[in-house]
Amino acid sequence: MPEPFLLKHIHEPDPADLRGYLARGGYEGLRKALAMPPAEVIDEVDKSGLRGRGGAGFPTGRKWKFIPPDPSVIRYLVVNADEGEPGTFKDRTLLEGDPHRLLEGIAIGSYAIGAHQAFVYLRREFYRARDLLERAIAQAYEAGWLGRGIQGTGFDLDVVLATGAGAYIAGEETALLESLEGRRALPRLKPPFYPAVKGLYMKPTAVNNVETLCHVAWILARGAAWYREQGTPILVSISGHVTTPGVYELPLGTTIRGAIAAAGGMRGGRVFKACFPGGSSSALLTPAYLDTPMDYDALAKLDVPGSMLGSAALMVMDETTCIVEIVARTVEFYRDESCGKCTPCREGTIWLSQVFERILHGRGRMEDLDLLAGVARGMMGTCFCPLGESVPPSLNASLRFFRGEYEHHIRTGACDVGVTA
Amino acid sequence: MTPPRLSDNAKSEIRSLMSQFPQSQSALLGALFVAQDEAGYLPPEVIEDVAAVLGLPVSEVASVASFYHLFFFKPVGRYVVQVCTNISCTLEGCGGVLRHLRRALGIDVGGTTADGRFTLRTAECLAACEEAPVMLVGTDRHGRLTPEKVDALLMRYHEHRTPDAEPRTP
Amino acid sequence: MSVQAITLTIDGRTVAVPKGTTIYHAAKLAGIEIPIFCYHDRMPPLGACRMCLVKVEKMGRLQTSCTLEAGEGMVVSTVAPEVKLGQEAILEYLLVNHPLDCPICDKGGECPLQDQTFRWGPGRSRYVEVKRDFAKPISLGPVLVLDRERCILCWRCVRFGEIIAGDDALKGFERGFATEVNTPFTLPVQSKFIGNTIAICPVGALTAKSYRFISRPWDNTAVPSVCTLCGVGCAMYLDVRGNTITRVRAREAPAVNDIWLCDLGFFGQSYVGREDRLRRPLVRRNGALVETTWDDALDVVARQLRAAGNRAGCIGGGRGTNEDAYTLGRFFRTVVGTNHIDHRVDLAPQTASALVPWGMTSSIADLAAADVIVLAGCDVTEEYPVLWLRMKQAIDRGAIIIAITPKRLEIERWIAHQLVHRYGVGSEVFAALIGGRTGRRRLGGTPGGVAEEALEAASAALMAAARPVVLIGRLALDAPDGVAAVDALVEICRRIGAPLNVMRGKGNEFGAAAAGVLPTCGPGGRPLDEIRADLEAAWGEPVARERGMNVPEMLEAAARGSLSLLYVVGADLATSLPERRRWTDARTGLSFLVVQDAFLTETAQAADVVLPALVVAEKSGTVSNIEGRVQRVEAAVEGPGDARADWEIVGLLSERLGRPIAYSAWEEIFEEMRRLIPDLEIGERVPPTGVRGSGSEVRPAPTDTGHRTSDTETVQDYPLTLIVGDVLFDRGAMGARSPAIADLAGEPWALLHPDDAARAGVAAGDVVVVTSKAASLALRARVSDAVMRGDVFIPRGFDGTPVNLLTDAGGDTGTVVRVNAFAPVTGGTVEP
Repeated sequence: MPEPFLLKHIHEPDPADLRGYLARGGYEGLRKALAMPPAEVIDEVDKSGLRGRGGAGFPTGRKWKFIPPDPSVIRYLVVNADEGEPGTFKDRTLLEGDPHRLLEGIAIGSYAIGAHQAFVYLRREFYRARDLLERAIAQAYEAGWLGRGIQGTGFDLDVVLATGAGAYIAGEETALLESLEGRRALPRLKPPFYPAVKGLYMKPTAVNNVETLCHVAWILARGAAWYREQGTPILVSISGHVTTPGVYELPLGTTIRGAIAAAGGMRGGRVFKACFPGGSSSALLTPAYLDTPMDYDALAKLDVPGSMLGSAALMVMDETTCIVEIVARTVEFYRDESCGKCTPCREGTIWLSQVFERILHGRGRMEDLDLLAGVARGMMGTCFCPLGESVPPSLNASLRFFRGEYEHHIRTGACDVGVTA
Repeated sequence: MTPPRLSDNAKSEIRSLMSQFPQSQSALLGALFVAQDEAGYLPPEVIEDVAAVLGLPVSEVASVASFYHLFFFKPVGRYVVQVCTNISCTLEGCGGVLRHLRRALGIDVGGTTADGRFTLRTAECLAACEEAPVMLVGTDRHGRLTPEKVDALLMRYHEHRTPDAEPRTP
Repeated sequence: MSVQAITLTIDGRTVAVPKGTTIYHAAKLAGIEIPIFCYHDRMPPLGACRMCLVKVEKMGRLQTSCTLEAGEGMVVSTVAPEVKLGQEAILEYLLVNHPLDCPICDKGGECPLQDQTFRWGPGRSRYVEVKRDFAKPISLGPVLVLDRERCILCWRCVRFGEIIAGDDALKGFERGFATEVNTPFTLPVQSKFIGNTIAICPVGALTAKSYRFISRPWDNTAVPSVCTLCGVGCAMYLDVRGNTITRVRAREAPAVNDIWLCDLGFFGQSYVGREDRLRRPLVRRNGALVETTWDDALDVVARQLRAAGNRAGCIGGGRGTNEDAYTLGRFFRTVVGTNHIDHRVDLAPQTASALVPWGMTSSIADLAAADVIVLAGCDVTEEYPVLWLRMKQAIDRGAIIIAITPKRLEIERWIAHQLVHRYGVGSEVFAALIGGRTGRRRLGGTPGGVAEEALEAASAALMAAARPVVLIGRLALDAPDGVAAVDALVEICRRIGAPLNVMRGKGNEFGAAAAGVLPTCGPGGRPLDEIRADLEAAWGEPVARERGMNVPEMLEAAARGSLSLLYVVGADLATSLPERRRWTDARTGLSFLVVQDAFLTETAQAADVVLPALVVAEKSGTVSNIEGRVQRVEAAVEGPGDARADWEIVGLLSERLGRPIAYSAWEEIFEEMRRLIPDLEIGERVPPTGVRGSGSEVRPAPTDTGHRTSDTETVQDYPLTLIVGDVLFDRGAMGARSPAIADLAGEPWALLHPDDAARAGVAAGDVVVVTSKAASLALRARVSDAVMRGDVFIPRGFDGTPVNLLTDAGGDTGTVVRVNAFAPVTGGTVEP
């Protein structure tokens, strides 16, 4: 198994220290990139096979190729550091552990697409990350890794740090751009507002995730071929009932079972009951799916609609977990984070949460199970953006795999498993 | 009581934020935090002041502010305690932590202690699930919470002997 | 036109549409209706309500037809089972939190939510939970009521404010299921266009206070009319039940108001049915006005007119129809035998307003197509609000606005170059715009307090204009340097090839001008001497030859005793004249005053005979707007008592004077006008001749005001310069009689610069006493840097606190004042 590299340096005593970063070979990727024509930088990233690590998994090189290379057009790079998908904490880990890596990735990406201004949209709650990043940015400017004429080349880049203010939807790239423009974080209509064409301030914009850009720094430093040899690693955030929750750097395609093993296995020797393989927006999976490889295609092709790799946030639940309660929590989460722009998400999530509330408080009716499925069906394929459509996968999977638990709640008004809360 | 207004210092801080962006409205969220840090919350008068500095309609500023959960429109305690109640923290028992906090502080979620020190809120996933259950106190993140740990932390903040930097509102 | 055609199939029908057409519109063209809520064809698609879902072959998900552009060969279904399921789901979601209080909802019967649920809804609801609960309804100011429970969050009203009006009046607050439309802090809505949001609301969430529980839509009869309150001439429907106007709605007029109105139009028509309308003729007997018969009143007036001859004058005519105005002109020029006839009621002597023909030479549509619009002393939203909506369209297409005004405009946010200058030196700023750097340096770099860089930037923008339009307004025309301002703007327009539009006149004053209610111009705006032969041929009578006097000249002649009779039609001279003393002096010198009006105005109270007149809503005929466009109005309601149309009244007088002008109907008058005015055509324009045209009048001889103070005296005692300007909502004859408008107008006020307010020890909201050499007024202080230090702005149109008391010291053209905090203890100087 190749040695992890993304997480290799996250335990340095002062992660924002530039000298330490340079001593570890930092900014080599940027140095190499600046010596290449921008198109070659994009090709290199393309060849690496890197896919966006924000959740959608779109190939990064291709995304950059959509940005018109016309030098007369102002272009921007925007970093999505608004990590908020439940169970996902790898970006925060990188921000707090290796902030210069991100800056290096930003500079490479900006150079590749011809942006001279980059904006980091950081989750407000990431206070430690902000302090480190601010310090790292200041040092990078001072040492000529950012600013005017980077390292004696003609390339100028300003990096501006902006923060969110508490809105999960701002993680959706067009909503993020709205928020970065100082507005309500409402998703934009696509088309015509594809960020690569009409992004920030209606200018071509690449929106990249933190982990993605850290990968980019490594790819440019070591080359696409080396990167592929490492097994196209991804960061998996493992939480819940495992022995040692944390971020793990695993080759793409590690099975769910393998990932749980990497996190020390099930805690206290208890039995695996279910998991979200890719954040709460993905469907719930049961023990039958433990040997599914955690990669984009394998998860998406399962016979469980809505199963996906997403942000690779593996939330593991053992037999003590009340599935009804957990799904109710996800529904409440989407209800509270719905922006309210479109009808099905705004009204569907509140309706579902009201039904769950009744069931959990012993006022459920058997017909509520069809009602839940029916309300969820009406949301599928009708919402403006993916947020609303993140609800049905786990709900439907729970109704399919754990129907008995719902029925028990409705019949007895109580839970038949050890309630966690 | 006269309502708080934005100080000249805050105004110039907002102006310097505005200068960072190609379009000044981009500084709005940051400006609202500057204002909130100073006034403690965002009463209508402060929202009007922010709008005036940014040259935006008051309606726009108030609308934007109301969208985001980290802006407060009523006074809050010196430390805003935000307990994550999302899935990973639920799996790790955040419900008990929250119950304990309510008892210990004598307030419900959304409430502020009589001494004005703590406001209790819930939060969505704070992206620190490896140390669930998690909460923020002011700008400090604390994980692997147990009732005992919560008590010790509250004591620390109560005595204001926290080693952490001067707290900001979120 | 080479618009590429796209062929697609919708529900099996083949449709060819131009490239860029949405599926929704393509379906509409094919006669297929797709339900919508958030989409509105005057705004870009939003795709939020999800009601318009369709199925498109080879596309995985249902698509919103309002956002999807038609593509070649697309196969679309609006009736597929998935579509049906989606539509039912959306309607069910929309209804779960809707109160379904249709029986008591003003929208009932014309509600898209009702209609679409009827046609596309699931027919049942599975919802058994508790519905969302909001306090309802809540009041958002004098006109608007909000019911948040009925709101389906289609965002139309919010986007109207953001996109169409640019006033951001209503916004979404909170988020998710808690989202609500509201104003910030639920304060009264700040808008001049909020009535439109009521019109486009697809549910009963936004309703009008004035229409609450007034009528069901099917009980209303819609009568096409035109608003004559400001001069834009917006097409509207007067909805009538019985003999009452229940509400006003916009009527689509692509060339004028499109589908919008301003709130003065929506809520300012209630004066029509007021109880205090004049119903019977009044005649002064033993010092008091007493009711009498038409026969008696007309006999008295006819006798006086015969005696006065060319010592009679007529002022007014700008509030009626074109036919009224034309008949007035014919009557006075032939039967009475005088050319002293002028519609320009509020004309001050020596102002540029007297020199230039009023109205737009550009069309209203030209505004939307302009790339640079210059607002020179034109406060467009206060004076001609719906024109602003056109300018906003131009801005959205990349146009820039240059505003050079003594008061910062409320639309400042949309103005690229807002230059605020000291009152009375606007002409220097205009001149400096094209004067080049040296010209400006000669002026000391900052004419009127405008910074050199700002001027430079505005100048550069102006010079780069490809399709410029220049508008001069009353704040420039009636300023002390108005004549120089016009000269400077004429020069600018010549240099950049722009039309100069004179934004002056209200109501149907443009129709009155076109119909010949001007001392030296006959119908069609042609000089009287040029058209005299035509007129005499048409009228079969000689036309008076003596040069006619304009309004200031008539008043002066009256004061001297050389004009003996004044016939005032639909005008309140006492409150409208820039200087009140000109009116009182004139009244003293007159031997007889006739007032023909709808109300017993202050002027009417001083009359010898008062004749009750109909208002436009009670008459059929035509009116003309600021761009000279002729539009039809139909009588919506019957007038009160014995009130009659102006043209009927002068017709009756002409009979008594033995030279009958006997028209049977407005059409007959209009046909006669058409013979004299070749371009006169309903729906078409008869624009003014233009400032550079030969039709403009001669300059009036300067008249001595006799009130000017010396500079030293002025500066010491009266350190502030008074700006008098128009506001949309006032408490004039009509505003005061439309409750919503009176409420919107509020108390009379004065706007002070913060430094001047501080010097006077005055805070916003305090009562201040504004004193000129002539009088003092107590007003509510507003404080902002919208005016320059040293200037104070007071609006016209508050008849209870008339600003023309102050301007007796020098007209609009140079009154200086001082401002003191109101000190009741030492009071006694406050008038009236």
